[in-house]
Parts: sequence; structure tokens; C-alpha cells
Amino acid sequence: MIRVILLFAVMLVIAGCATESASDPADTVVKYMQAKVDGDRETLSSLLCAEMESALNREVNSFSTVDATLENATCERAGNSDTVTCSGAIVADYGGENTEFELTSYRVVQEDGVWKWCGES
Amino acid sequence: MHRQLSKFLILLLSLFLLGNTPTPDPNITHPYETTAFRQLVMYQGPGYTHLQADILNPGLPIKIIERNHTGNWVRVIRTDGDTIVQDGWVESAYLNQDENLKYSEIPVNLDIPDHNPENSGEGEWVKELLALPIMPELSDEMVEIYKRGQFLGNHSNVITKVGDSLSVSDKYLTIFAQEDYDLGPYDYLEDTLNYYAESTAEASVAAKIGLSTYVVFDPLWADKEVCQPNESPIDCEYRIKQPSVAFILFGPNDVRSMNEVEYGEQMRMIVETTLERGIIPVVFTFSADPEVELWWQSVNFNVQLIQIAEEYKIPVINLFAATRWMPDYGLDEDGIHLAHSGYFYLKLSNGDEAFYGVTLQNLLALRMLDEIRKTVGIELEENA
Repeated sequence: MIRVILLFAVMLVIAGCATESASDPADTVVKYMQAKVDGDRETLSSLLCAEMESALNREVNSFSTVDATLENATCERAGNSDTVTCSGAIVADYGGENTEFELTSYRVVQEDGVWKWCGES
Repeated sequence: MHRQLSKFLILLLSLFLLGNTPTPDPNITHPYETTAFRQLVMYQGPGYTHLQADILNPGLPIKIIERNHTGNWVRVIRTDGDTIVQDGWVESAYLNQDENLKYSEIPVNLDIPDHNPENSGEGEWVKELLALPIMPELSDEMVEIYKRGQFLGNHSNVITKVGDSLSVSDKYLTIFAQEDYDLGPYDYLEDTLNYYAESTAEASVAAKIGLSTYVVFDPLWADKEVCQPNESPIDCEYRIKQPSVAFILFGPNDVRSMNEVEYGEQMRMIVETTLERGIIPVVFTFSADPEVELWWQSVNFNVQLIQIAEEYKIPVINLFAATRWMPDYGLDEDGIHLAHSGYFYLKLSNGDEAFYGVTLQNLLALRMLDEIRKTVGIELEENA
């Protein structure tokens, strides 16, 4: 019985950590940027804040005409604010010519306990 | 005898084919006489889809009696005494020209359309595109937009460009700022060129390689050095420059990743964004090679532009129709970008507009600016 209780407790901790990780604001921004580069509609939709839902098609198609990669993306939340500041860049290759988009600061909001990307700040 | 009979029959045929255009007076004193430097087909109107009128051999003296809206097609006659023996339209680039030819002195004929779609041998959608004039007139609605823009603080002598890699090129519009221009016979465009030239020197943040009708609204694509957070490239460009005219060209890039419905929706957003700021959107249709896979999608995209032009009464420069009979459709070797003549200043004195897409695009853009400047009533300082 004790084993069962311990196992249950461990599972709860693991699940708790997983939830916390998924809703970490800095992690949200990195995932969002990767999804934007990949044109991953499902992920973008799940991480885009409600007030920006109308921009989903734009976000999905942001790099649809070029080959793009997310490089050295590191993000950090500024204290307890709603701002996440990132370094790194998205590098887009168009016919052999590279264009670099440096990552900047982004606004995040919490909706139903999950952090969402909500544009630049 | 046989030769004379043939000559008579050709003359008779020519007169029959030209029956719907006024017969010119052969004795009229014309300002410019010239010759063709190669054998040319003469047409009944200013474009290759009009019925053929005659064959003009090189070296024969001809008189230019009319021109089209721009001057890249002219009506010429050849006389024998008091008799007109040949009469038809040819592309002016194939005529020997010198500094005495000035299109400001040649009467303009706007009665004959650029193309005769029914004689083009093309399908219905392409015919629809060919039916759209190459050079639009400015609607009353756009004059009102211009006035509203002036009220909002837009600059009457500032223009900009919005688009993908075809627009970002410094050979397109940006070269208007080069002082060593050579307009050749297009002398009537000089005042207009000088009026807008300075504003073209600075690059547009809304013209970028890889830009599409989606990402022109994406702040990530905006230049962070000059644009504000969350500001899209198009909003940023319009805020910084406050232009009165925006030349918009999208399609060759978009056609690879979206359908015509999405393209139409996005182009409408661009047009509406432009109109809201009191800026006249001048949209280009785009050239395409019928041999490539995306040809029909390109045609569909261009048809969308016609519909948008009708909805919003905006001017559309029909580059598709203008380049349709150019070598390689005016395109570069990659089949996407317009071909460039190699001159790094605006040179219109050697007929390059008949061979290079960028030169023709610049000529048509300048001609459009001339139309806008005169229609909205911009007076130049020396005339004010």
C-alpha cells in the first residue's frame, strides 16, 4: 500500500513538473518561434494568445516562401513581468541569400494557467 | 506588272484593315521622320494582338503621326508623294531615334485599346487579363484618397514601394534618384521624374527579399532599427515616409505557397491598409512564363488583381499584358525576376523598354506618376 502511495506521489510530482515546464513563459516563446519557423499550425494555435487569434494565418505563413531555421534561441523572463527577452535569430534562406531576423522581447499572457505568446513588447 | 498588282493588293488590304481608324492627311507636316532598323510587322493598333496591317522594311522613310499613352508604340505612315502607301502601329523601340524625337510633340491616341484579346489566341482567363488597359486612368475615388492623404499629412512628392524581391531591387524606382538619367524621347516625363525622384533614394522597409502578402503584416519582418515593437513592415514604411503613392507588387513569391483565394484576401488587406492612410495604391499585375508549372496559378492571381482593382477603383498597371510579347516575357534567367538592362540609371533612349522587364516597369511607373501628378492637380514650382 505504501509503495502504491509513493508511486502515485512520484507520478504527481513528475506530472506537476511537466505542466510547469510546458507553461514556462520563456519556454513558450522558444516553442512558439520554432513552430513559426516550421509553419506548425497546431502548435502556433495552441500557443497564440486569444487577442491575436486573427493573426494565426499570418503566423503560420511567415516563412512559407523561404527556408528558415531557428538558431541559438535563448529566452528569459524579466522577473515576474509579462515580458520575455530572447537572443538568437531566425535565419531565412531565399535562393542562397540569407536574411537574419534577430529575436527580440515578447509579451506573454497566462490563459487558463498556460502561458501564451502575445506579440512583441 | 505582277509586282504592281501585288503592291496594289497590299495597299487595298491595308486600307481595309485600317478602316476603323481615321485616315491621316499625307501632307501634314510631321515633327519627326525616321526609319525602322529591322523589318517590322505593322499592326492596326498599339499592341501585338491587333490585326496585322502591313510589313515595314528597314530603311524606308516613315513619319510618326501618333503615339499610345506612353510612347512605346507609335503609329507611322509611309508616303509616296501625296499617297499614303503604308499606315500602322509599331513598337517605337525598333525605330532609329535621335535627340529630335520628343513624345511631348506627338499626338496621343487613347481610342484604340492596348490589346485585341479576341485575336490573341489565348484562353478566356488570359483574354480577360489582356483586356485590362496597361496604363490605367486615375479614378475620382483615388483623387479623393489623395486629398485625404494630404489632410493626414502625407507628402505629395513622396512615393514608396511594397513587395518582395522584385521590388527590393535598387534598379526599380530607386534609380529615379540618380541624377544622370536619360529619358530619350520620353521628354514629357521629365518634370514628373524630378518631382518624385528624391523620395525614391531611401530604401523601403516594406520591400524585402522573401516578403509575401502575409508577412508584410508580420512585425517580425520589420526593420527593428526604424520600426516600433509590434509594427508591421507596411505600417512602419507608411508611418516613416507618409507617401502619397505606393507601388505594390506581390505574386511571384506568393504563388509558390498560397492559393488565389488567400492571395486575394491578403491583397485586399494591403489595399485597405494603404487607402486608410490616404495613400494611392498602384498595383502591378506580374509577368509569368507560360512554360512553367505555376503559370495558371499566376494567371489566377493576376485575375484576382483585376477584381480588386474594380472593387476599390484603384489603378493597376498591367505588367502582365505589357510583358506578354517581350523576349522571355521580360523575365530574367530565373524566370521570376524581371530582366535588367545593366544600366544603373534610368535610360530610356535606346529602346530597352522593349527588351528588359525592369526598364519597362520603370517607364510604366513613371508614366503612372505623371498621370497621378496631373490628375490630382500638383503644380510644379516654376508653373505655380
